[in-house]
Amino acid sequence: MIMNRRSLMTTALTLGAMKAFPGLSYAQARPLVFATFTGSWEEAHKAVLVPAFRKASADAAVVLDPMLSVDQIAKVNAAKANPPIDVMLHDPGPALVAIGQDLVEPYPVEKSAYYKDLIAEAQEPMGPAPFFQVVGLTYNPETIKTPPTSWADLWKSEFKGRVGITNLNSTLGTGWLVEIAKMRGGSEANVDPGFKALEELKPNLAAVAANPGALATLFQQGQIDISPGNFNAIQILKARGVPVEFVAPKEGAIAFKTTIHIVKNSPNRELAFKLIEASLTPEVQTTLMNPPYLIVPTNSKVKMGGEIARVLAKDTAELKQKFVFQDWKKINEQRSAWIERFNREIKI
Amino acid sequence: MGTAPASRDVTSYGMGLAAPLALFFLVFFVAPLLQLLWLSLHNDTAALHWGFGQYLHFLTDPFSLGVLGSTLLLGAEVTAVCLVLGFPIAWLYQRVGPRLQTIIILIVLLPLLTSVVVRTFAWIVILGRQGIINATLQSLGIIDTPLKLLYTQFGVVIALAQVQMPLMTLPLITALGRIDPNLDDASCSLGAGSWRTFFRVVLPLSLPGVIAGCTLTYAAAITAFITQSLIGGGQMLFMPMYLYQQASTLQNWPFASAISIIFLLAVLAVVSVFTTLGRMSRGYGGA
Repeated sequence: MIMNRRSLMTTALTLGAMKAFPGLSYAQARPLVFATFTGSWEEAHKAVLVPAFRKASADAAVVLDPMLSVDQIAKVNAAKANPPIDVMLHDPGPALVAIGQDLVEPYPVEKSAYYKDLIAEAQEPMGPAPFFQVVGLTYNPETIKTPPTSWADLWKSEFKGRVGITNLNSTLGTGWLVEIAKMRGGSEANVDPGFKALEELKPNLAAVAANPGALATLFQQGQIDISPGNFNAIQILKARGVPVEFVAPKEGAIAFKTTIHIVKNSPNRELAFKLIEASLTPEVQTTLMNPPYLIVPTNSKVKMGGEIARVLAKDTAELKQKFVFQDWKKINEQRSAWIERFNREIKI
Repeated sequence: MGTAPASRDVTSYGMGLAAPLALFFLVFFVAPLLQLLWLSLHNDTAALHWGFGQYLHFLTDPFSLGVLGSTLLLGAEVTAVCLVLGFPIAWLYQRVGPRLQTIIILIVLLPLLTSVVVRTFAWIVILGRQGIINATLQSLGIIDTPLKLLYTQFGVVIALAQVQMPLMTLPLITALGRIDPNLDDASCSLGAGSWRTFFRVVLPLSLPGVIAGCTLTYAAAITAFITQSLIGGGQMLFMPMYLYQQASTLQNWPFASAISIIFLLAVLAVVSVFTTLGRMSRGYGGA
């Protein structure tokens, strides 16, 4: 028998768990476990998605178990035969990892009532995208009177020591670097121009935050005035009274698909499908689009409104025009090399 | 020292009572550690090919060695700051009345009662561009443009020193409390000045506390993932963050395991230097 890390882990953990919790062996009837993300995601899903799911599934029990994408993958990997999670939520990079490691099932597209209504970019047969995350420019309107319009504005001399970015550990940091590379003639396969641009950005850099959450709080502290930022993270700060504004740069705002997947070998396949269906309905997506959630919908039947219509796009056609989607398959191939290079080169 | 047979009995009692804890450690610490070691001895991420490739990679890579070096140095700096600032507090504690003692102990313990995250965020507020330090200096007219304090080595050292301070102060208070106050007077009456008394009497006798405090502070400072990453930011790489990056973002578990084993050995080496010093000082202090 070939021993590798995973089989060893799986066996060890399963044996250990069965010994410690004998009830597990009979645990077929456990509630549906949905691994959402922490923070505002969890709040939104608890308040909107879960009630909609329960209505559609005769009050089936569901448990939210919020954690990062990478942790979801590690957890499922450790117990592939009897996964502790039924539905996973992923950013584009980790989604490809999960699919590559054979952790998710194809979505039963032909059974789905809403899949065909999703805009083309959100139709992923291995797990559809119920939401988009959007990255654009965020700035402090109290100190920056003329709103920035382009990624190139970050290099302006007037922002010396005022710019914040994150490192490449996050989807935001990596996606942004790729976009900068594209602006300077590079691509997902060639980010050299992006690194050159970063080198030139150094005099302007006030902070390289460890993660997007830490970056957002720097606006609160006045440590930075302008940065690439996540639309939803900024709305949360704004709601708390922090002076920040979001603009989509003219090169296009970066859109990340947040995809939702049925975990392979899930004992609750049918319920998992129902939960995902609920997340694709125009009703749920409309509610989530409105304040306080402001999550960008992917169902083309949803009529854009409010802040999203004002700042991002009025309808699906404009959304397609203004959003940039990236090829994460290509990005994943070289991401570790980029992270290493960023570690070495970016010292401020 | 005490009578020999009695001390031998004492050591043989403990074994049975320690067994549950030992078993716990065996299952939840030693076993995972062995698995970590096993994983680190593979050259590929799927852990199929045996080899020392991960260790070679780390030990021949100036960048990785630099990360290790700066982490160990960070620990030394934080420990030094804690010692210099913590000793006077411990010394003061032994020389004030009971009411003030309660207040000092409360002040020393207070940081332990709040979460590390909260303490670290407080430092972001203090060190930021519009933080307390910059605002004060600017309003006094000492500086024109705000100093860069957050995301610097200086910021990390100061924040870590405050966060880890109790680990230094508490052993020092205990050690200083064990010194007979008459020794001070004796030293003075024999003609030594207060500095001489301090360096020849108080400091040597407090060495066990100093060493215990240094060991604890050092170990805590170099592994303090939260404070390091929040105050140091994303471009100051220390070992915990390096490890996290490899394990979590890149899913390169064998290299991450090798990093942790190397880090563990480096820390053990430093700690064993401390313990050796401790053993020597006990002989010194007892003499």
